[in-house]
Amino acid sequence: MSAEQVVEHVTCLGCGCACDDIAPLVRQNRIVEARNACPLGRAWFGDGTVPQEARVGAHTVSLEAALTHAATILTQARRPLVYLAAELSCETQRAAVGIADRLRAVLDSATSEIAAAVLAAQRRGRAAATLGELRQRADLVVFWGVDPAERYPRYTSRYAVGPGGLQTPSRTVVAVDVGDHRGPGDAEARVIISADVEVGALGVMRAIARGHAPPEVPALRPAIELARRMMQARYVALVHDAEPDGTPADPDRAEGLIALAQALNGPTRCALSTLRAGGNRSGADAVVTWQTGFPCAVDFSRGYPSYRPHDGAAALVARREIDAMLLIGSPGSVPEPVARGLASVPTVAIGPYASAAAFEPAVAVDTGVAGIHEGGMAFRMDDVPLPLRPSVAGPPAAAVVVRDLATRLVSP
Amino acid sequence: MTTAQRLRITGGAVYDPANGIAGVVQDVCIEDGKVVTGLPVGAPRLDASGMIVMPGGVDIHSHIAGSSVNHGRRLQPEEHAVDPVPAPRLDGPDGGGGGPARSGTGGTIPSTFATGYRYAGLGYTTVMEAAVAPLFARHAHAELDDTPIIDAGLFALLGNDEYLFRQIAAGERARARNYAAWVLRAAGAYAIKVVNPGGVELWKRGAPPRNVTGLDDPVGSTAVTPRRILETLTDAGNELGLPHPVHIHCNALGQPGNAATTLETMRTLAGRRAHFTHLQFHSYGGGRGKGWQSGAKDVIEYVNAHPEVSVDVGQVMFGPATTLTADAPVEHLLHASSGRKWVNVDIELETGCGIVPYAYKEKAALAALRWAVGLELFLLATDPWRVVLSTDHPNGGSFLSYPELIRLLMDRAYRDEQIKRVNAKLLKGSALADGLAREYTLNEIAIVTRAGPARLLGLTEKGHLGPGADADVTIYATGGDEATMFATPRYVLKGGTLVVEEGQLRRAPAGRRLAVRPAYDDAVLRDLKRYFDLHASVSFENYPCAGSA
Repeated sequence: MSAEQVVEHVTCLGCGCACDDIAPLVRQNRIVEARNACPLGRAWFGDGTVPQEARVGAHTVSLEAALTHAATILTQARRPLVYLAAELSCETQRAAVGIADRLRAVLDSATSEIAAAVLAAQRRGRAAATLGELRQRADLVVFWGVDPAERYPRYTSRYAVGPGGLQTPSRTVVAVDVGDHRGPGDAEARVIISADVEVGALGVMRAIARGHAPPEVPALRPAIELARRMMQARYVALVHDAEPDGTPADPDRAEGLIALAQALNGPTRCALSTLRAGGNRSGADAVVTWQTGFPCAVDFSRGYPSYRPHDGAAALVARREIDAMLLIGSPGSVPEPVARGLASVPTVAIGPYASAAAFEPAVAVDTGVAGIHEGGMAFRMDDVPLPLRPSVAGPPAAAVVVRDLATRLVSP
Repeated sequence: MTTAQRLRITGGAVYDPANGIAGVVQDVCIEDGKVVTGLPVGAPRLDASGMIVMPGGVDIHSHIAGSSVNHGRRLQPEEHAVDPVPAPRLDGPDGGGGGPARSGTGGTIPSTFATGYRYAGLGYTTVMEAAVAPLFARHAHAELDDTPIIDAGLFALLGNDEYLFRQIAAGERARARNYAAWVLRAAGAYAIKVVNPGGVELWKRGAPPRNVTGLDDPVGSTAVTPRRILETLTDAGNELGLPHPVHIHCNALGQPGNAATTLETMRTLAGRRAHFTHLQFHSYGGGRGKGWQSGAKDVIEYVNAHPEVSVDVGQVMFGPATTLTADAPVEHLLHASSGRKWVNVDIELETGCGIVPYAYKEKAALAALRWAVGLELFLLATDPWRVVLSTDHPNGGSFLSYPELIRLLMDRAYRDEQIKRVNAKLLKGSALADGLAREYTLNEIAIVTRAGPARLLGLTEKGHLGPGADADVTIYATGGDEATMFATPRYVLKGGTLVVEEGQLRRAPAGRRLAVRPAYDDAVLRDLKRYFDLHASVSFENYPCAGSA
């Protein structure tokens, strides 16, 4: 084996774009350069080094001893929580849901962070497209309160704006600024909508798309004009960011966007593109759905899945209802309200950087990062499944560790 | 009774139409997962006296796994909440999940483990997932990995594929065939599926009428028409020697007067082996502005007279359903007319996806017509080997409604009672309303639910109980009505493992994947690689599923 090697066609999970053209240059089991990756992707790959420990409390132990202890904690718990954090392959997620089922635990994931959007889509459905379809068809791209350059750097160059499409000789980009949420700075046109009228504006735009006459409200004039422009396009890509960003968004925004995108399929074609973060978050949504029938916030305590979308991990943690936790995935990706609970109950952490978690897990088992050290499958933000190609060797694979733990659990 | 390497099923009346056995009391001997000619005298026995023994059921067309199915699942928490599926009490691990038995939820789109358990509980041991965009094949396989017991294959959607269209436009017949072979391998698929050829592409293009209106409508190029797409893929499937011919969902699904389109499609392909799916949704008379009526008689008479044609019915059953199809323009119409929630996903370079949850009501005239048309197709068919039982699960209703459908076919008195309950407004002139006396025999049911579909799929080790067959066996207790009998088999064996015992699911071995690996000329790869580099959003190298292409 040569000292230096380029691994081709690697899928990056640094964000939900899941660019699969990355070519990490590897020297002595270190990533020297993640070729083709954006800055966010380069940071995600790093040099490929991760901690490789198994610990009980502060003591380094064998993997065997760590998992035995973990099994004891989990089987003795009365109300355990299994949380699927980021950086897991679908294979690991599948095994993890099996553990939650067996423990009659509550199961949750990052999907609950976008519960408003999930619930809106369950009420209405959605009009969507894969990212490649936007590239082929969209002649009008509307960024609704988001500039993808910040959190999804290659979204425009790979999918929605840059590459020419088979059905689009040209396309126009419109930035919609909603309060502090700004669209791309280099858009051809800019529409400014104040945050307090956003949901109302979406409703009016939908009504126009459905053939109603627009109201004479000056504050809504930009939105009305935008609706007309969208109706004149052949295929509209309406892009929004589902991920939280610190500024609370109106919970009705997601439903307003869904309804508008659906209504535009009367006069023209429209797809709503929902930006999602990386680490195979979309995979957790899909896997939990196919194994339980619900996308997140599943309670197995009755011996079968019950859906608790308004009473997920964060709420249970806040009520101190949880008495043990199995965190699978990267501890750093756990949202703050759930992370608070990690310190207060015995926690088994399995995943990349588990031993370096900010809280003190009762048991920590470091694993590799899906897509850097481990293969398997992950989902792009538009649910397109992609293979993961490991570039460097690392700690034990998460899928193997989680399956091993599963075999040690005695039915309650 | 445990899982035995050897088992002699004794005393049951065997229905094995592929081997010409109709209700003969004889032993079925099983060894190492296969049916064998005989066993030593001391071999373990299963007493099936007074019971009916059939091969395991084979579903030729169902939607149970993959991206579109999962969108439909996610869309309906309400139906999952009211149909919990606690983990069955198994005697061993679930071979699908690799651990203990799994809980789940049901409804029209059950969770994966529940899907495996429920199909097996119904005595079905082989199921074809009938519509997978090759781009999403990897996802479909992962779901099937979590669907225990049943052997499963998937059909790859090709009827609106950009690369295929380019080959048709360029007259590159051989390259189209090579491409079809490559896609089947890349997707780990079993057959070629065509859905509304050309129509989905026009829906995605957006310009009115957003669908094809006839077999000669141009789709981009004038050289690319539904007719050319159908001919190209039908010939490709037959020339590749695939075990199952091209599986066709015709244009104009669900529209009044579409029987004419269906018949024209069949005539276009006359003399070529082809399978026409959910024929019920394509057998309406009348027309736009002329109303609705049954067109079943004309369509099934053509099928009866043409041995190269096979069909499955796609029966509508009253109750909840989820309409879910690659035929996205149809779902947009259904959403617009019903106001129900709606998912649409345009899938790059390949196809579309549309989903609308629905319910067929007895008192709704159109639902009653669809129900009647399906029954007419069944009852007027002369060759059961070419007319398969299906509900296009979950489009016409859940697979769990098969037993009720079987009763409708076997019991005329029961059927006549049901006819009286439905809205008869559109049934004028229908053969069903005029009174069809036919009653399916048990042997015919064995044909349309296992022997026929297995033969049409080219699954030589399925659908029969001759030596060398997979030991997939379903044993029914007699006594109740047909619906009860078929809903609750007493015993089910899958590959020789007793999965249902005394009516209870006891074991859940992993199912096998059924896939074809047709040969193709490598020359296509260079051109494909260039095409992917220019137009696809995933790398050519990342497109095939592991170990397939």
